[in-house]
Amino acid sequence: MNESLEQLFVKQLKDNQNIIHKICRLYTSGEDAHKDLFQEITLQLWKAFPKFRGESKFSTWAYRVALNTAITLYRKSTRSISTVDYESKSYFISQEDYNTEEEEQLLLIYKAIHLLNDIEKALVFMYLEDKCYTEIAETLGISEVNTRVKMNRIKGKLKKILNP
Amino acid sequence: MKELDLLKKDWQKDTNFFEQLSESAIYKMIHKKSSSLVKWILIISLIEFVVLNGISLFINDENIDDFLIKHPYLDLINYVNYIVVISFIIVFYKKYRAITVLDSSKNLIQQIKATRQVVNYYILWNVLIGGFFGVFGIIDGFNNSFTKNNAVNTNIKYILIIIFVLLIMGIIWGFYKLLYGGLLNKLNKNYKELMKIDL
Repeated sequence: MNESLEQLFVKQLKDNQNIIHKICRLYTSGEDAHKDLFQEITLQLWKAFPKFRGESKFSTWAYRVALNTAITLYRKSTRSISTVDYESKSYFISQEDYNTEEEEQLLLIYKAIHLLNDIEKALVFMYLEDKCYTEIAETLGISEVNTRVKMNRIKGKLKKILNP
Repeated sequence: MKELDLLKKDWQKDTNFFEQLSESAIYKMIHKKSSSLVKWILIISLIEFVVLNGISLFINDENIDDFLIKHPYLDLINYVNYIVVISFIIVFYKKYRAITVLDSSKNLIQQIKATRQVVNYYILWNVLIGGFFGVFGIIDGFNNSFTKNNAVNTNIKYILIIIFVLLIMGIIWGFYKLLYGGLLNKLNKNYKELMKIDL
């Protein structure tokens, strides 16, 4: 029983690992911190897995656990570094359609997001994942109105960072 | 906002950009130990309780026996202290169970805030009880060492008592800061950052 639960979890996580990679990308800079956070999120997901009933999609369920881990349970000094170092540059850019100007722009946006605080990053993450305000509000435990207000503020903040 | 939408477009297409982990790598990950702060608070408090009380079991000092015979009510307070400390450990355990990643972020933050408070109360309790016992010990010490021949001025005596008790409390406080300081700092940093956002 336990064995099959483990198999099921590992398979589901393997198929959905990009969600976690994406969260690590927003919350950390550098490969080591990325791996550390990925490890901790995986553990927290596994610990919580027996409570996952399959009512929602694995990915939806994983958002909450992963974001909460990134926001509250995980603290490493390395992650507070807000600049993106040179090495990790390649890591952020999709290689297919090569477009230097767009790449530069994306890099700047990531840099700006790294300057946001943990909750703001969570909002940005769910926005990028195309989640509706109802779901964002429910995950964070705040009202929908509050979520909209915060999201607008974040957009303002990012605009200010990007166009000083 | 056009920048964020540009990112969103890129975000949703680069699904296979990350180095993909194999099933066996994930197997390895789930068999590692988590580094939950609250778990450590619980473990340290338990070790501390066992070690400190273990030491007092092995020390069979007649002076301590005499001291307790002289002040029978202190024995009672000692038992009260046991009950309080055990209650704290139970609360730590409950907090450890209550802090779940399945909660909404807001509730989770509030639980963490509460845990931090409880640890602070725990430290405060230990400092106060240490100071309380210290007062009795020092008064006894004074009475034993100063007879009528070399009596000290009452005012000086009180000042010395206060200084000694503050010193004892300071040492106990320092001990707990050392023990829990790192963990509290981490919780605190968390908390400050999160409260800025006013969820």
